[in-house]
Amino acid sequence: MTTVVRIDPTLCRGHAICALYFSDGVEIDQWGFGRVVEPTLTTRRAVRKALRAAAACPNGAVVVTEHGEAVPVGADHPTDTAGW
Amino acid sequence: MIDLADLLAASAQVSAAPGGRAPDAVAVGGLGDPGTVLLSGPGTGSGPESLDAHLDRWAGLPVLDGAQVLALLRAGGLDGRGGGGFPLARKVAAALASGGPPVLLVNASESEPASAKDATLCACRPHLVLDGAALVAAALGVDHVVVHLHRGAGAPVDGISRAVAERRGGGHDVVAWTVSLGPDRYVSGEASAIAGYVHDGDARPRFAMAPLAVEGPTGRPTVVVNAETVAQLGVMARIGPRAWAALGTGGSPGPRLLTVAGAVDRPGRVVELVGPGTVGDVLAGTGCTAAPAAVLVGGFAGTWLSGDEAWQAPYERSALACLGAGPGCGLLGVLPHGACALVETARIVGYLAGESAGQCGTCVAGLPRLASAMSSLADGTFRRRGLRRIETLGDELLGSGACAHPDGVVRLVRSTLEVFRDDVVRHLAGEQCRGADHPPVLPVPVPHPAGAGPRPQEHFS
Repeated sequence: MTTVVRIDPTLCRGHAICALYFSDGVEIDQWGFGRVVEPTLTTRRAVRKALRAAAACPNGAVVVTEHGEAVPVGADHPTDTAGW
Repeated sequence: MIDLADLLAASAQVSAAPGGRAPDAVAVGGLGDPGTVLLSGPGTGSGPESLDAHLDRWAGLPVLDGAQVLALLRAGGLDGRGGGGFPLARKVAAALASGGPPVLLVNASESEPASAKDATLCACRPHLVLDGAALVAAALGVDHVVVHLHRGAGAPVDGISRAVAERRGGGHDVVAWTVSLGPDRYVSGEASAIAGYVHDGDARPRFAMAPLAVEGPTGRPTVVVNAETVAQLGVMARIGPRAWAALGTGGSPGPRLLTVAGAVDRPGRVVELVGPGTVGDVLAGTGCTAAPAAVLVGGFAGTWLSGDEAWQAPYERSALACLGAGPGCGLLGVLPHGACALVETARIVGYLAGESAGQCGTCVAGLPRLASAMSSLADGTFRRRGLRRIETLGDELLGSGACAHPDGVVRLVRSTLEVFRDDVVRHLAGEQCRGADHPPVLPVPVPHPAGAGPRPQEHFS
């Protein structure tokens, strides 16, 4: 299974919310724009975090694909992990 | 399985092959000069070559099916001449493997302000370009080719339009041609920007998870191929892949087109290098008698090399790669002794910063800051910690965009700081710059004001 995550830089507006959900996979630059450190996700844990980041991005800039097809983000990947 | 021997035998009958060449002979010449291949024929000022004249000189294009064209591309090892150097055979194969009818676009826009090789081909040898494009169309199994140019280009637009009209009139091709004219901006000549523009009229680069050849903006595999690349194929189909490859070197098959700019006898002249020549051979053919101070290799997003290093360097991809450079768009910008590379680079970076399409945050925020840092380094109002600032900006800009525009600027800046270390030290120490009063060397357009005027989209449609 090849799951790939990338940030579309044309959509990213520097909210940096992705870094809250996927802190070890995303680098934030001095203006808040994110960049994925390693696009290929090898663990299920990393895939879960990337999907949460994708669901949380207000601009839909975090794109996750599996075998080249976009993975829909939403209900299966709740971002309210604290339960509130 | 295609029998290449058949293909070679079929193509060997064409007389246009440069016969009797010694294997290591080097020729450098412009339009119509002896020893040239793509530029052979009428000289400058003769306008676009007519279809009849073209066919008289080159004979008809061999009729090849798709598999034969692909075999030809593989045998010749034709690399892309737009800047990336990606092998055309692999691009075509990727598009064929991706399913769905492909889209074929010829990129004749040549956004690089100092480069004129594609413009020269389109203006003077348009049928060679269209011949090669028709072959790629056969390889992809498509019957429609779009040739894209900048709308303000002038002579290249006339050349291609006339050639297309001639071929339509004579029923010369099975493919249908469309000439697409887009905005005159630097990044709107980028492959995804052209593919996008032809699709929906927005000439800004696109972010995509897959390469264009796998899935373009239309959802179909999209092959964007440079005008010189297809013209090379037009030659290769006639003289055969081995004879064609032998016109270059082992590491860089085929003849190469270059534009020389800066301190040469005729800046902006396009020359063809045939055989295993060095950068020095090319410059010696364009009025330089000794190594200049430095040479900008590969375009505005290219690499500076010191004059001595460049002079000795074989002009081929692998040899230039050892020096951290590449042929890029084929530009050699000659910096004379007495001019300051930091001043020249600051002008280029200022121009490139204004050419951002305004889409990606890091490019929008970072490039103007990098430009202003380079400009204060050039005018000597810079302190040492500014160098670390340039380093940090470079790290953040590299790979940050949907296209490679910021990467190219960073490459130029880093090669400047590396090659002109001594000048940087002198500028930091506040010494009088020797080149401050030197007139501008490279033809850098007036920068577009970043973030001013109409919204970015309006410049890109």
